Amino acid sequence: MSRNGMGFWGETRQTARAVAAAMTVTLKNLFRKPVTVHYPDVVRPYPDRLRGILALIYDETGEEACIGCRLCEYVCPPRVIKVEMLKGEKRNYAKTFTLELYACEFCELCVQVCPTDAIIMLKTFDLATSDRRELLLDKDRLHALGTQFENSWATGTKLREMQRPPKAAKAEAAE
Amino acid sequence: MRDVIAAFILLNAVVLIVTYLTYVERKFAARMQSRIGPYRVGRPHGWLQPIADAIKLLIKEDIIPALADRPVYNLAPIVFLIPSLLIFATIPFAPGLGLADLNIGILFFLAVSSLEIVGLFMGGWGSNNKYALLSAMRGVNQIISYEVPFVLTALIPVVLAGSLQLSAIVEAQRGLWFVAYPIIGQLAFIAFVIATIASENRVPFDILEAESELVAGFRVEYSGMKFALIQLAEYTHMFGVSCLGALLFLGGWLGPGSAHPVVGAAWFLLKALFIFLLVTWVRWSFVRIRVDQILGLSWKVLLPATLILLMATGFWVALRSGHVA
Amino acid sequence: MADPEARRVIELGYGGNERLVMNMGPQHPSAHGVFRMILTLEGETIAAMDSVIGYLHRCHEKLGETLTYAQYPSIASKTDYVAAMTSELTYVMAAERIGKIEVPKRAQHLRVLVAELQRIASHCLWLGTWCLDLGGALGGGATVFLYCFRERELILDLFEALTGARLLYGFHQVGGTRYDLPEGWAQRCRDTVALIDRRLDEYEDMLETNTMFLARAQGVGVIGRELAQEVGIAGPLLRGSGVDFDIRRDDPYSSYGEFDFKIPVETAGDCYARYRVRMQEFRESIKIVRQVQDGLPEGPISSRPALKSVGQVRIPKGEAYARVEGPRGEVGCYLIADGSPKPYRMKWRGASFSNLAILPHIVPGHKVADVVAIMGSVDPVFGEVDR
Repeated sequence: MSRNGMGFWGETRQTARAVAAAMTVTLKNLFRKPVTVHYPDVVRPYPDRLRGILALIYDETGEEACIGCRLCEYVCPPRVIKVEMLKGEKRNYAKTFTLELYACEFCELCVQVCPTDAIIMLKTFDLATSDRRELLLDKDRLHALGTQFENSWATGTKLREMQRPPKAAKAEAAE
Repeated sequence: MRDVIAAFILLNAVVLIVTYLTYVERKFAARMQSRIGPYRVGRPHGWLQPIADAIKLLIKEDIIPALADRPVYNLAPIVFLIPSLLIFATIPFAPGLGLADLNIGILFFLAVSSLEIVGLFMGGWGSNNKYALLSAMRGVNQIISYEVPFVLTALIPVVLAGSLQLSAIVEAQRGLWFVAYPIIGQLAFIAFVIATIASENRVPFDILEAESELVAGFRVEYSGMKFALIQLAEYTHMFGVSCLGALLFLGGWLGPGSAHPVVGAAWFLLKALFIFLLVTWVRWSFVRIRVDQILGLSWKVLLPATLILLMATGFWVALRSGHVA
Repeated sequence: MADPEARRVIELGYGGNERLVMNMGPQHPSAHGVFRMILTLEGETIAAMDSVIGYLHRCHEKLGETLTYAQYPSIASKTDYVAAMTSELTYVMAAERIGKIEVPKRAQHLRVLVAELQRIASHCLWLGTWCLDLGGALGGGATVFLYCFRERELILDLFEALTGARLLYGFHQVGGTRYDLPEGWAQRCRDTVALIDRRLDEYEDMLETNTMFLARAQGVGVIGRELAQEVGIAGPLLRGSGVDFDIRRDDPYSSYGEFDFKIPVETAGDCYARYRVRMQEFRESIKIVRQVQDGLPEGPISSRPALKSVGQVRIPKGEAYARVEGPRGEVGCYLIADGSPKPYRMKWRGASFSNLAILPHIVPGHKVADVVAIMGSVDPVFGEVDR
């Protein structure tokens, strides 16, 4: 088993040193604090932008923010959103809004395109159920989720603003 | 009658200790890997985990492969387990506290513990599985190769003590533990540990169960209670060899207050645990080496080294006692 | 499998022993994904190797034709899911090349930053899984595995704070990036990178001079220089065999031309050489991350209007091939655009797919235990192989 032309004694010395080095590293880690987080008793702090479960929210006046425009339905890559529009006098609503959470990719494209910031993501991802049908979210369920959990930072307006500089800076750059 | 009761007590004690030895290993390994190990079963710190595992294995379905060689397949775990339990008959836990302190104690130990290989090969063959067969063949190769240096290192304390009887070997360490003998003691201990790791199929020599290639090796087709028996046999053998190491090199039950048998037994178990943890520490620090490299190490390095050590020991003993004959 | 007789078994001149055909099937702890190897063994030595792929085929190239330029980057991360940032970057760069779309400076620097962080994370995974294969799920391999994943989690935490997702990001879009750095991220990134730099010393301690590790890695899976160039492998496999080629330097994209970094090259061509190349790449990536952070300009992160509808991005007629130095090799995307919001055709050059072609050349002659060492050092990700 001699390699590098070291000869028997050289290799034995190197093995002894390597063994000591490796076992020292393991011993050092023996005394370090474990990195385990005792979920679900302890929950690590989630970042603001966490892309969790989707939900629909209400606007400032307390009405449903969703206008049934179906932009989220068209942009969704796995096509999990299905919306039917209900025409109203002053504004439109969504008659039905279903989201198949079991197939959702959590890519946040629907949040990005929403013109009224109606659909958002939450800072939770606890999806486990024993029945897949519970993950087929309808409008009521989506609204209920929106009030239950903390919203993520991202809304459509904020994302679009982040991707485009504010108008003042644009005017300056144009000069 | 008294012997039967003593044997019964010993058997149960050994099985209980070994079960909790798996728990100690899991905790130790977990801490070395920045995690916690068993935690939830029996809070805090999962001390009921081994019991839970045992119950789970008991109630599992016993699946036998369709084309397996039934008698061989079914007998293999038993043949694997019995030698591991038999070796405890000769181990003296404290003066007077051993089941059968034979005057050829260590010979019995070494001879019986090498019968395990038969059970291993039966398991690999009877499973009718190419992975199992490959692993069993590697196992036979490896264990046979490492039994020779193992026996030779075990002979060094025999030569130093002048007797094959295990309690006599411990008594001979009253002045100085054999591991503390200059050079010979340390080298012999290191060789013993290496040979132990190899004949126990522990990383870095665990090519035979190599989870990443041969997923559990010869055990791959076993489930339920048969798997439990094989696991038990492996850890029992490991514990038995650790006890042997404690007896041969670390002074057995000798220590402050060892006149009292219970204190002596406590010292002994502590030393056996030390060797066990040493082997575990090595296990969780290294990658494994290939089978041809393992065999090369045994025949080309360990065997000549232990032979030379044994001869040197004999020479030294003869010189010490004044005559060279 | 069409015709078993057609599979040529390479004769190695053994004395007429019985050969064992063993299947290291798609479900295997060290198949690195779903990969089926049919090994013909003589004792412990491999006489021939056949491989079967396709267990993870998910029709990416068809998806590329049915999804628009706005939708697909989120899906692109699923090809090489271990190094998602580089996969998305390839697609987006191809689209930008056809449409001659300028990417703002800040976005280019951000792309470099995440690509290098992704390289560090991917190499952490490589080292962990390779040592796991070498050393076993119950053994020293698992120890290195858990250490490496502990470090990888730190980088994933950084990405989570940046994009919201830990594995499949959707960070790139045509014209720039979707997200900008949040508050406090820059300092966190510096601290993380410094910590990983220190921990790398620990890993090298555990492995570098370890004769057991060297015995498993040196002289195993030697890829000769000519063979490497002939078969068309790329990345650390190529650089481990002495070919000095790296797309970041030789065909620079994003703003790699502005940063100063070395390309590690080793000549031995065995698993140990590839290991050395990747370990040095760790350090070089850390250097690049620090340089990017020091000189990050202010400005917009995208040169196109923010995404408001699915058909917003239209690329004029044309075709282009964009390639990126991913952690595994050359990831390439060939796009044919026809003026509509969807590509006409999209073809992925998967780095691992091309790298797997080297296996039938180097595996025969080794022992079974070496196969896992070689597979680990080739580091395939089957999302890229099967697409």
